[in-house]
Amino acid sequence: MIAIAEAPAVRQTVPAMQAAFDVAHLNAYYGARQAVRDVTFTARQQAVTAIIGPSGSGKSTVLRALNRMLEVVPSARIEGRILFHGVDIYAPEIDPAAVRRTIGMVFQQPNPFPTMSIYDNVAAAARFNGLVKGRAQADELVERCLGQAALWDEVKDSLGKSGASLSGGQQQRLCIARALAVNPEAILMDEPCSALDPIATLQIEQLARDLARSYAIIIVTHNMQQAARVSDDTVFMSVDEQRAGFVVEIGPTAEIFTNPKNRTTEDYITGRFG
Amino acid sequence: MFAERSLRATGRGRRGTNRLVFVLCLAAGALALLPLVLVLFYLLTEGLKAWSPAFLVSPPGGITSKSGGAMNAIVGTLEMTGLGLAIAAPVGLAVALYVTEYREGRLAIAVRTAVDLVAGVPSIVIGLFVYSLVVVTMGHFSGLAGAIALSLVMLPIIARTSEEMFKIVPRRLREGTMALAMPRWRAIVAVYIPTVASGIVTGIVLAVARAVGETAPLLFTALGSNFVVTDLNRPMSALPLYMFQNALNIGFPAARERAWAAALTLVAMVLIFNVLGRWLANRNGLEGR
Repeated sequence: MIAIAEAPAVRQTVPAMQAAFDVAHLNAYYGARQAVRDVTFTARQQAVTAIIGPSGSGKSTVLRALNRMLEVVPSARIEGRILFHGVDIYAPEIDPAAVRRTIGMVFQQPNPFPTMSIYDNVAAAARFNGLVKGRAQADELVERCLGQAALWDEVKDSLGKSGASLSGGQQQRLCIARALAVNPEAILMDEPCSALDPIATLQIEQLARDLARSYAIIIVTHNMQQAARVSDDTVFMSVDEQRAGFVVEIGPTAEIFTNPKNRTTEDYITGRFG
Repeated sequence: MFAERSLRATGRGRRGTNRLVFVLCLAAGALALLPLVLVLFYLLTEGLKAWSPAFLVSPPGGITSKSGGAMNAIVGTLEMTGLGLAIAAPVGLAVALYVTEYREGRLAIAVRTAVDLVAGVPSIVIGLFVYSLVVVTMGHFSGLAGAIALSLVMLPIIARTSEEMFKIVPRRLREGTMALAMPRWRAIVAVYIPTVASGIVTGIVLAVARAVGETAPLLFTALGSNFVVTDLNRPMSALPLYMFQNALNIGFPAARERAWAAALTLVAMVLIFNVLGRWLANRNGLEGR
């Protein structure tokens, strides 16, 4: 487990080259209602960035804007600029499917494909995207991704069983393995532990730390201890009178949790609201 | 004291009402069951008089003869329902996919309304339509015309039930396929259809059960035949037609018994198909849901 003290040293501004995500003046709307107001932050490569805040503060909306999953909601619309490694992911020539393949996502409810085996859950999307050919390549991919998701040892003898037969925590790790199988460069996690028990939660958190060695990880959570345990940087969001979410404070997690600059942050972190 | 009194006070009247409602529901349930039991009872007692394995594989005899079977009708029913299903199932599934997964613009609403309208058309009108479209064009009655008429009976049922099934594919599964950048048709084939397969099969079973018993659309399309015909280009019999023609012979008890035996055969076929469909659907359906 990661203690707060071990988190990286203070880092005031991130140079654009180092940032995996560079979000500037993001506004998101559902129909006429503004859900997110003027969100600006950067997320580093090979680091875990936590987005925390009370319910309705637009955390998930921001997260879904980062891999263009927001636009599948018919009424949703965004303004602003989101760069991923310097590329505007909303530029007209960009294919949303390619964005989603590059920036993987893990959801709140584990959602393995229930009619597929564990093996196929991992291999199917990679096959459909033409990333693996033939049985041997697929075998290798399945073992590698399940290994990265710390699930291989538990399921290696039952790869033919339904993905739905696993426990909740195993299902979530299967979903992480599945996301890794299409070769993403970043992984977005939308409250990945809120449906899990404490032990499974710790496993996912450890996994997020491990994955941060190779990927940019952004995790949405309303569990502050989780943010403290798992993240390097924290984006703290809150909600205004018009029910629109906005960013209150951004900074290294250690700093936000020990020495918040903003009164709202302090109140939230110490449990006085939210 | 107070708690005890209020606890006791709610007891008696409520329990009485509950009992009354329970008895009424039970009576209604029994009443609904009664026709089913009677139908099955008559079907078995009357149907078994003329029924034998030979009945299934013998061509019909004369009206008065004691022997003779319904092979012509069974072959016709199997062929026409089979071909009708082979047309209606893929088209129905495609229509359902169009109005749920690919609903772009107003055409989807028009398609759905059209399907609903076809579902509401009396089956004899469907028969008439196919008569003027196929029989008149071809110049003669045929099993093909019968199969097309039956496919029109099945199509809206399959389209509608499949549509309802695609609607209940959980959102988290849809998001899962999208987040993995699966092409939509891949997601449909690999995830959505397997997930709701049992429901789709139920719709198909319902459609077949309905079509297999249809008489009106076959009257002036397949017409009926006393010969065992496998050629879809010729007039064909079917179990409902066979029943209809035999049951009309009021003066001939043997013919009426054959009608009952055909009815029994028909119901048995529907039952077998039903069990088969369910078994198929469960075999590769959701295990751990």
